[in-house]
Amino acid sequence: MRGARQVKTFGRIHLTASGFAALPLLIVAAVVAALFVFPWLVASPYLLHLMILLFLSVAMGESWNVIGGYCGQYSVGHAAYFGVGAYAALMLLQYKHIAPWWGVWVAIAAALIISLLIGTICFRLRGPYFVLASIAVAEIIRLVVLNWKQLTNGAEGILLVDIPPLMLGGRLVTDWLSKTPFYYLGLILALATLLVNYLVQHSKLGYYLQAIREDQDAAHSLGINLSFYKNVALAISALLTALSGVFYGLYIGFIDPASVLGVDLSVQMVLICIIGGIGTNFGPVVGALVLVPLSEALRANLLSKFLFSIGVVQETSRVGGFLKENLAHAHVLIYGILVVVVILFMPDGVLGFGKKLIARRARPLSATPTPLVGGLDGST
Amino acid sequence: MRVLLQSTASGILIGGVYALVGIGLTIIYGVMRVINFAHGELLMIGMYLTWIIFTSFGVDPFLSIAITIPAMFLFGAFLQRVLINRVLNALPQNQILLTIGLGLVLSNVVMLIYTSDYKIITTRYSSSTINLAGLPISTPLAISLLITTVITAILYFFLLKTDTGQAIRATAQDRDAAQLMGINVKRMSVLAFGIGTALAGTAGALVSPTYYIFPQVGGAFTLKAFVIVVLGGMGSVIGATLGGIIIGVTESLAAVYVSSGMKEVFVYVLFLLVLLFKPAGLLGRSRM
Amino acid sequence: MRSTAEIARCARSASLSVAALAASLAFPGWVAAETLKIGVINSVTGPEAPIGENLTNGIKLAEEDLAKSGTKVELVWEDDTGKPQIAMSAMEKLATRDGVAGVVGPYTSASANAVAKLAQRYQVPLLVPAAAKEEITRQGYQWVYRLNAPANVYAQVLLDAVTEVGKPKTIAFIYENTDFGTSTADAGKKYAEKKGIKIVADEPYSKGSPDYRSTLTKVKSLNPELVFMVSYVVDAILLMRQAREVGLKPQAFLGGGAGFTTAQFASDKAISGNVLTSTQWADDVKWPGASDFAKRYLSKFGKEPTYHAACAYASMMIMADTAAKQGGDRKKIRNALASGSWKGIMGDVKFEAYDGYTNQNKHPMLVLQIQNGNFAAVYPPDFATKKPVYPFPGW
Repeated sequence: MRGARQVKTFGRIHLTASGFAALPLLIVAAVVAALFVFPWLVASPYLLHLMILLFLSVAMGESWNVIGGYCGQYSVGHAAYFGVGAYAALMLLQYKHIAPWWGVWVAIAAALIISLLIGTICFRLRGPYFVLASIAVAEIIRLVVLNWKQLTNGAEGILLVDIPPLMLGGRLVTDWLSKTPFYYLGLILALATLLVNYLVQHSKLGYYLQAIREDQDAAHSLGINLSFYKNVALAISALLTALSGVFYGLYIGFIDPASVLGVDLSVQMVLICIIGGIGTNFGPVVGALVLVPLSEALRANLLSKFLFSIGVVQETSRVGGFLKENLAHAHVLIYGILVVVVILFMPDGVLGFGKKLIARRARPLSATPTPLVGGLDGST
Repeated sequence: MRVLLQSTASGILIGGVYALVGIGLTIIYGVMRVINFAHGELLMIGMYLTWIIFTSFGVDPFLSIAITIPAMFLFGAFLQRVLINRVLNALPQNQILLTIGLGLVLSNVVMLIYTSDYKIITTRYSSSTINLAGLPISTPLAISLLITTVITAILYFFLLKTDTGQAIRATAQDRDAAQLMGINVKRMSVLAFGIGTALAGTAGALVSPTYYIFPQVGGAFTLKAFVIVVLGGMGSVIGATLGGIIIGVTESLAAVYVSSGMKEVFVYVLFLLVLLFKPAGLLGRSRM
Repeated sequence: MRSTAEIARCARSASLSVAALAASLAFPGWVAAETLKIGVINSVTGPEAPIGENLTNGIKLAEEDLAKSGTKVELVWEDDTGKPQIAMSAMEKLATRDGVAGVVGPYTSASANAVAKLAQRYQVPLLVPAAAKEEITRQGYQWVYRLNAPANVYAQVLLDAVTEVGKPKTIAFIYENTDFGTSTADAGKKYAEKKGIKIVADEPYSKGSPDYRSTLTKVKSLNPELVFMVSYVVDAILLMRQAREVGLKPQAFLGGGAGFTTAQFASDKAISGNVLTSTQWADDVKWPGASDFAKRYLSKFGKEPTYHAACAYASMMIMADTAAKQGGDRKKIRNALASGSWKGIMGDVKFEAYDGYTNQNKHPMLVLQIQNGNFAAVYPPDFATKKPVYPFPGW
């Protein structure tokens, strides 16, 4: 029984990865394999595009999770790392013709430097003050990038001309002209962030972070160097977020301060994590699965078309017209509603809620109280 | 010299509006310890309400605050009972997220109803000026500063001299002690949020003749409101007033002497400096 | 009882249809409809929506006229919400999924520039109706065509108009910190220098600010003889209101298109009087059908059209007509656009290569002045209907 297994592994948390029985592992492996084969079976650029967006959202959510979910420091200014990463790589590519596989290192370095700076300034602040400071820093960076026209082309943004073909040992790997290389790059990025999350969670670092999250002062009194570990978490998170930014810049081919440094992007990263389930390994995946198809379905009017086709609403009626015009832009509204619902009724996110449902059915007598944020009992 | 005087004057005028927004936020934080990220959206709702009244009934924006204040108060009380109350004891991070979500819902509902088209209110005096010692002062902003002063004075009087006001202050000072003293802290929270919302909505109404109205207008004001509140000291009404004026003047001078595009950077840098070196703000008590 | 052969045939056709269904999901272009499709990318929602509405309505009038003349086209509308990334997704969808013969749009400079690159990559003819950014047709893209005059002409025609009636020596630039604002202002600065007018102030502002008074006070203290502004509608109104407040009084206010050409701006008589603005079109110009178009637009939509409506109308007429004549073949349409010439409400249209531009229509721009809440064409002399009021008589 699932419940019995959970109790057993709790005591052996160092030996077996918690909750990692064979079946879930096989399922994960099968899904990953299927994802790898996907572009061979499906050629529709639109579907590939959706999957790429999904991978990007997963990567962004997982990156934020390291600092926000495990460490409990809610940064709502993560767009700073995303945008700095994107701008560094794209500026080098566009103006100095440095290929992105070298440029990405500069992007990472830039993001790390900024994260150290932000960490030193902001980590003295607690809770809500940290949130505010993180937003302020991200806004400062956005305004500087916007106004420093000679460096960044300001409001006009950077419209990528071409990515140089990737050659390995004299053979052409890809010329970046189709979606497939981006698909694989995105998939690898998403998997990498998942892996990093897993490693952090199941390492000593993860314990320190969660201790800091649960009670900073207690952790401090136990001898945990708060500022060191918070900065480590932020550095990891910044690095991954910057990679996502570079990927975004290369894939979309156009960046400007509003699209990669805006507060709404930062909020979106937090939302992906919160809605899915904060402080869990797969939470952001669930969050991305909820948000990406939803926003695309709304944007492309699929939902309205569906309602019209099943005859619930007439396309030419007033309601129909209203839906057609406006539902496309309702996805942010739905995010907002989801956040409110999740915070009020499902603080562990959709993933946590789902697990509670399953656990409640498998183990009717719940002995462990469910904490408000994440789970220190080793459940992912 | 003229430029300095002129921009300081504009800074003070716009600072008055910021102050009103800040006061609302500081009351909410003081009493409930809730960081309200939807505050800018409450201002936006006040703006739209003013616009509706103006276009449907032709009532002047300044006169219509007689309707806006009670309407926004009721709206705020409603929000508090239904949503905010549930997270009073939750982690601050969750409170922040809830109010962020609330803000998104408010701005997007308005966007669905009214589209993102920018709306602009034009009154007879929208671009007229009063001459004060040779400086042209925007008439609508001058009137709004006047009204802000009156409202602040009334609020201050309310908090200091009336029983309910003192009960609110007691709750802000020490929630548990106040409850032990027989104060209905739940009701105080509702009142505080209602007052905060009413002030935000009023600020929106006051600034509407000189600005334009669109669903996302709240965003810019929310962050500034936090800067003001932190600068003035969380929970201090006078602090928020001072903070508002300081921010308004900083912005104005930065626009003239540095560049219009970078003026917000100065506000945010000031914010970070305050957070780092004097987090209690000018007049507040350290509550971190 | 079915014979084995029949069963085999059934099975084959069943599997063929399943395969076709699967293929159509994977390759939607294969099962494309027979009708001629033309894509439209526009800012239907978002901050540019008020002007975007003009393009939508202009294209709707074009749809009517095309139907009347028997040209069968199906329009595929896409909303870019004013963001270039979304315009790019829309273009991808139009080019690869909807299989359109050509695309008209987008509206904003930033979106048009981003989409131009994709049009070139996917080899879809793109006709840009109203975007100003010069770069759009300066990249040698053979698949991108532009109907309207680019940003440098906005500035050129305005400065030419004022230097005709006066001798201004200094100019201040106030513009929004966006792609459109920056590129138009840059064009203006270059031309001002060429004409020997000294630039005394360069003030980009962040859109959405409530208070421009300090910037305007600063500009006023520098005493510019000309003030050149580039804004969309609401900023235009706010800037002028606050300019009046601080008492900024140059010899002329020059509005670089967009916000300054809308009826909403003009109708605010307290602040719009005597503002000069450059435009791609006016309803009292002697181009065939121009005034009829304006009357039709007013009666159908209840508002006066801006130049964007006329540009969009003409672009759609040209694209649809060409596409229909070339049977929807993208390459043939491209060639027809490159070699053709048209005459309509936008005057003569011919896409040429000159001065580093490719496929650019040499469209002459007009200078309008708002006199008493109405637009009057004052320059160039061929198109002028009234004399310009210069210098600015004050508030």
